[in-house]
This record gives sequence, C-alpha cells and structure tokens, in this order.
Amino acid sequence: MKIWRIVLAVVGVGVGTYGIFQLLTQLPRQTLVLLALWLIAALIIHDGLLSPAVIGVGAALRRYVPDRARRYLQFGLIMAAMVTVIAVPMIYRAHTQPPAKALLLQDFGINLTVLLAAIGGGTLIAYAIRVARDRSLPGRPPDEADK
Amino acid sequence: MLTVLSRRPAWWPHFSSTLRSTAVTARLGLVLGIAVLTCFLTGLLSYFQYQAWEWLPPPASPVWGYRVTQGVHVATGMATIPLVLVKLWSVYPNHFRWPPFRSVRRLVELITVALLVSATLVQLFTGFFNVLNWYPFRWDFLSVHYRLAYVVVGSVLLHIAVKLPDIVYGLQTKIAEGDVLTEVQWNENPESHSIAGPLPPPVTPGLSRRGLLTAAGAGIGVVVVTSVGQTLTPLEPIGLLAVRQPSKGPLGVPVNRTAEEAYVIAAATAPDWTLKIMGPRPYALTLAEIEEMAIHEAQFPVSCVEGWSANAQWRGLWLLEVVERGGGTADSQVRVRSLEPAGFFNKSMIFGPQLSRALLATHLNGQRLTADHGYPLRLVAPNRAGVFNTKWLATIEVLS
Repeated sequence: MKIWRIVLAVVGVGVGTYGIFQLLTQLPRQTLVLLALWLIAALIIHDGLLSPAVIGVGAALRRYVPDRARRYLQFGLIMAAMVTVIAVPMIYRAHTQPPAKALLLQDFGINLTVLLAAIGGGTLIAYAIRVARDRSLPGRPPDEADK
Repeated sequence: MLTVLSRRPAWWPHFSSTLRSTAVTARLGLVLGIAVLTCFLTGLLSYFQYQAWEWLPPPASPVWGYRVTQGVHVATGMATIPLVLVKLWSVYPNHFRWPPFRSVRRLVELITVALLVSATLVQLFTGFFNVLNWYPFRWDFLSVHYRLAYVVVGSVLLHIAVKLPDIVYGLQTKIAEGDVLTEVQWNENPESHSIAGPLPPPVTPGLSRRGLLTAAGAGIGVVVVTSVGQTLTPLEPIGLLAVRQPSKGPLGVPVNRTAEEAYVIAAATAPDWTLKIMGPRPYALTLAEIEEMAIHEAQFPVSCVEGWSANAQWRGLWLLEVVERGGGTADSQVRVRSLEPAGFFNKSMIFGPQLSRALLATHLNGQRLTADHGYPLRLVAPNRAGVFNTKWLATIEVLS
C-alpha cells in the first residue's frame, strides 16, 4: 500500500501543480482574481451556509419526527434535494435564449413540482405500506419512537 | 496555554449521527472518483477537438464518437453535482477536529482539502452554467475549465493517497458496521469499534446507511434519466430536466449560435454570394453552381460541446472534391472561414480523415438550410464537435 500512496501522491502533486502553473501563467490577472473569489465563495457557501442548513434540518427531524416516519422522510428529502439543486438554475435561466437554440424552453418550475410530487407520493405510499404491514404483523416489535 | 488548547470548549460542535461512517464515505468516494476520472478523460478528448495536433488529426469514425463522449461528459458532470454534495456531507465533521491546527501536517491537509473542494465545486457548477449558456462568472469558460480540471484531478489523486488506509478500511467494512464518523478521529475515540473491539453495529434509528446510499442513487438516477434526453433521443419525452430538446430545434436540430447573434443575416442572404476557394488554383463557385453540385448525402449527428446532440441527414457537395479542384489533396490542411466578422469560432481547420469525409451542406433533413443553420452553405463532418462545423461559409483556404 505504501508504494501506491507514494505513486498517487507524486502523480497528484505533479498534475495539480501543472494545472496551477497553467492557470497562473496563461490567464489574465483579472480572471485569476475572479477565479480566486469564486473558489473562496464556493467554500463559504458550501461549508458555511449549505452544510449547516442541511445538518440543522437533520437535527430538527431527529427531534420532532418519530423514527419510523423519519426513515421515509429522510429518503424522500435526499432525493428531492438532489433534483432541486439541478432544477433551480434551470428555472432561473428558462426562456432567456432565442427559440432556435431549443434551449431551456420548458417551464422548469412545473417540471420540478411534478418531480417533487412524484418523489413525495412514492415516499408516502412506501410509508403507508410499512405502517399497514406493521399493524398486520402484531409479532413485530414496534419502533421505540413510535410508542 | 497547552492545557487550554487541549481542552475542548463546551460550545465546540458535536456530530452524533450514526449515518456517517467511513464505510459510507468510501463507497460514495469510489463512485465519485470514477465520475471525476470519466469527466477528465472525456474532457481531454473534447479539448483535443479544439487543439488537435497536426500529426494526429481527429478521427472521422465512428461518426457518433464525439456524440457519445461529450454526452457522457456533460451527463456525468451534472450527476456529479448531487453526488459530491452527499459525499461532502458525509465528511463534514472532519472540519471540527480539536484542536483545529494540531500540526503542520494537519494544516497542509486542510489547505489541500480546501483546494480540492473549492476547485471541484467551481468546476462542476461553472460547467453546468456553461451548458445553460449562463455566464455569471466573467471569464473565458474554456481556458479556465480546461486548466482547472488538472487542479481537480491532481488534488483528487493526492487526496486518495492521503486517505488510502481509510478508503481500504471503509470498503472492506460492512456498511452497517463501520465506525461512526464524528468530529473525533476514530483512533482517538474510545467508543469507536476499531478500538473497543467487536461490538454490536451502531444503531441508525432513522434511515439506515444502506437506505442513505439507495436514496442518493435514486436521486442521482432521476437527475440522469430526466436530463440525458438532450442527447439520448428516446428519453427526450421524459426530459423534465433536459436543458435542450433537440426535436424542437428548426428542422429538428437545435442551433447554438443564431444568424442574428453572428451578424451574418445581410451577408448570408446577399444574392451575389460566392464561395471563394484559395490555394494553388484559386477559383469561385456561385450559389447556382453549388446548388447544382449538391447531390451527395450523408448522415452525421450534430454533437455539441454542451452535451446535446441530434441525428441529422445532410445533402451537399464533398469538401474534398472542392479542395482537389483548387489544387489540394486529401493530405492538405484546409481552413474554412465564415461570413461571421469576428470571434474565435468564425473559422475552423479540417484535415486528415475528417477532410476526406466532410460535406459542404446545403440541405438538412431534406430541406434547404435555414439562416440559423448556416445558409447558404456550411461545413459538416463526422465525429466533429458542433462548433467546428462552421456555418455561413465564405472561403475555403487550401493551406498545403
């Protein structure tokens, strides 16, 4: 394993240094300043805003939602969040381009609603089946938090 | 001072979710690593279309080659956005080790991880924005995207080297049994399974770890299936998140640059338009002569760097016949120029196998080219990035 780590590290540092060297020598100063700002902003937005928000939602669910329901809610929310991340920039950019480009012609707000409804509906059905099954099987131990 | 530093303050964040585990992270990371490598390799293939070497011309076959590689590049890049967010969620507690800067080694690690995360996020999001023709970043997309890719891949390789023991542990451990990943490193945590010995696996009262991975896979699957219709034609009808809908383009093919954007409408519709061929034996072809010669048909998909593509039936005249009449051969270097007055893409080089199979097209899908599709004449060649299928042709230069 040690030899692999050394090889990977050497190649990685080499490739990365090549990229940084290329950026620093081939791009105008103004671009580099903007790029640096974007890199820092990405860290601040992700680590400082998005991640704490997600962790806050998770903590709230743990506190207020019984475990059995939470299981399904978490599943649905993860899927919904992934679809939303991709859809939101599209909603913002829809109908901004000449029609000949066939680019972003859809009403992505409606499309996102359809997808979220499908995810929500599917999650709800799975949860309902689980509840019904738990009731029909009295031998099955109930979840702690469902008492 | 030292004792103050070694005692963790009460307000310091504590992460108790048993969902997080190196066993989960390693699996997410494995898929993420494959995705990054896929994007890098297909990206290099695309860059080669932009900067082909004279001694290694881009191939002309398979005709759908660039359609597949660039379709994969964009689809994988889009799928990687949610994937990387889940992966980063799974390791977020690592930011909060105590003390924060315990050693020079730890500091170096933090700096390289910061570079890895920021470069990857900027690379993925600016790539996505480019597909949306949205440029809130005010720099030349191609020159930054290409070079930043090396920074991303280099820092990923370094990250794998640093984390290899954890990766091996994570992949070898059953997903439900792996140590919980918290802000305390496993080898300092008396409650970790790796130290405390065989213990019952950690309880995940809500979603299980397997459920987490399933949800992530399902979410990414929905994104891929509803977006890839912009290049995988059968999935276009369910393309709820498809950026392009090729069938809605004029003549069934989208346009990336309209005649209006290129300022060519007047020049392209001028009745005295002629195609000038420069080289050893210069000559010119009138529109009427070209219409008469345009009897050859070929089926080349239009494949855009932005990931969309569409099948297309073309009619026109073989570029090679025009070049040979001008004194060139199949080994010539040929430059075609557009009526478009300015811009990086108002010309393109064609040589090697693509030259032998290229068509100067007058018709698309059975109809005369529209202004947006390059009227009166455009270049098309197999396995060629769409942006180099130069439209509104003005001159053909036989350079050697």
